[in-house]
Amino acid sequence: MNKKLLGILCAGLAWQALPASAATGLEGVSLSGFMTAGATYANRQLLANSNAVSQDGTIEHTPGFTSDSRLGVQISATVNPDISVTGQLLAKARESNSNVKADWAFVTYRVNDPISIRAGKIKFPTFLISDYYEVGYAYPWIRPPQEVYSLNPISTINGADMLARYRFSNMTLLFQPYYGVSRGATTVAPQEALSALSQPAGSIVDVAFTADALHGVNLSLSSDIFTARVGYLQTRVNASSLGVFHDTAKFSSAGLSMDWHNVVLYSEVAKREIDGSANFAFPNQKGSYATLGYRIGKWLPLFTTARISDNDNPKTLLGTPLKQTSKTLGLRYELGSGAALKFEASKITPEKGTRGLLIADPNGATAPNKGDSVMFYGITIDMVF
Amino acid sequence: MKTLKKFWMVLFVILAWTGSAPAHAALAIIVNPANNMAGITAEQAANIYLGKVGVFPNGNRAMPVDQPASSPARRKFYHSVVKKEGSELKVYWSKLLFSGKGQPPREVGDDADVKSWVAENPDAIGYVDGKFVDKTVKVLLIIP
Repeated sequence: MNKKLLGILCAGLAWQALPASAATGLEGVSLSGFMTAGATYANRQLLANSNAVSQDGTIEHTPGFTSDSRLGVQISATVNPDISVTGQLLAKARESNSNVKADWAFVTYRVNDPISIRAGKIKFPTFLISDYYEVGYAYPWIRPPQEVYSLNPISTINGADMLARYRFSNMTLLFQPYYGVSRGATTVAPQEALSALSQPAGSIVDVAFTADALHGVNLSLSSDIFTARVGYLQTRVNASSLGVFHDTAKFSSAGLSMDWHNVVLYSEVAKREIDGSANFAFPNQKGSYATLGYRIGKWLPLFTTARISDNDNPKTLLGTPLKQTSKTLGLRYELGSGAALKFEASKITPEKGTRGLLIADPNGATAPNKGDSVMFYGITIDMVF
Repeated sequence: MKTLKKFWMVLFVILAWTGSAPAHAALAIIVNPANNMAGITAEQAANIYLGKVGVFPNGNRAMPVDQPASSPARRKFYHSVVKKEGSELKVYWSKLLFSGKGQPPREVGDDADVKSWVAENPDAIGYVDGKFVDKTVKVLLIIP
């Protein structure tokens, strides 16, 4: 066989075998991606005329495939040793129009070794894993505990951040301030806000909103064994369809993750405070969870307990805090390197008088009674490439 | 007897093939001859390869390069020096890569490709099977 042909063949085989950040053949350009394919099922019907069970309607009382399935592709290009450009395209099954959107696109400028500045459309870390929330392979659950992660529906800003990393002994301290605006975000309107939107209970309505002067800071300390972080962010939110303009929203959070001698631990607490009429749809809440797992070879069984509750929401504001607890048994299995299979069973228990993070109309006949619970089952395969 | 002879031949071929990269082959961590460092510890090299630092201990920029996942030198390097491999390493890089905080080392090819890459790039650091070392590169650490 001639050498050229052999070279092409080898290149082809190498392409098949390439891990994340494959070389594209273009100097300084790398392509990588992630994918999750998943199925869900909820064991109870909560509304008379709908299968929707989770508040966003993606987990239903019928086998469903929209809750967790998604595909992301990331392209990075090195302009010169100090400047690189990164873009990420994301397609989610849950988006009704199935549009591929640019989840982020930014330029990184390395000021010196510890400091980089990123500008453009960036993800910001409200919580521990916010900036890789879409990459199921990178965390142990099928979906991060919603009692914490549902508190902030904004995940990207148009703006800038700074990554300052300092190393001492075996640890890295990361100081990450960020500033920007959010445009074009949507979130499912809480059931409590539907009357203001003249929509019947049980409707799943996307509300477009924007956020101005979004600023915050993420401070984390990590070693090979653990990551501990605290974060704070403040912004002013606007949602014209709900008559919300410049209402202040504040988020504070702390979290710890650990992977030590096969023991896997994740735990976070987070608080949300929102003023003005935005409080009607998004009241002051606090959430927390703890996950404990033990790795046995390729298997990682996990147990998670989580709670979302009232964060002293002022009585003068009309918001109805959502309260629930959940317990989740999960199992992750490594399918070689770069793919994982996950199973989960969650028991969701709303507190009496609230629907929790379920869809049930709290004033309707299907409102959950105290102690009533719903089971969610899920299976996913997560990949990076 | 003929069968026995055949058996030994087959065994020899198998051993020669699997033994083409014996587990005891020494690994060399190499840099460009222009690099003024005299040596590097395994931990310092691991920090560079995990993106924890972007510079050599002398303060100069460090650009690590990798061999393909299938390479025996790469397996040995990640097993003995970086001390992260397989899905643990994949999860580590997934977090950094997809949150835009870092890029894994660039894959430039096998031992010969890494050697010539390092010989041409003053900031580069690589690892190769010891027998590929020549005067175009400088050895900072030998992993026996």
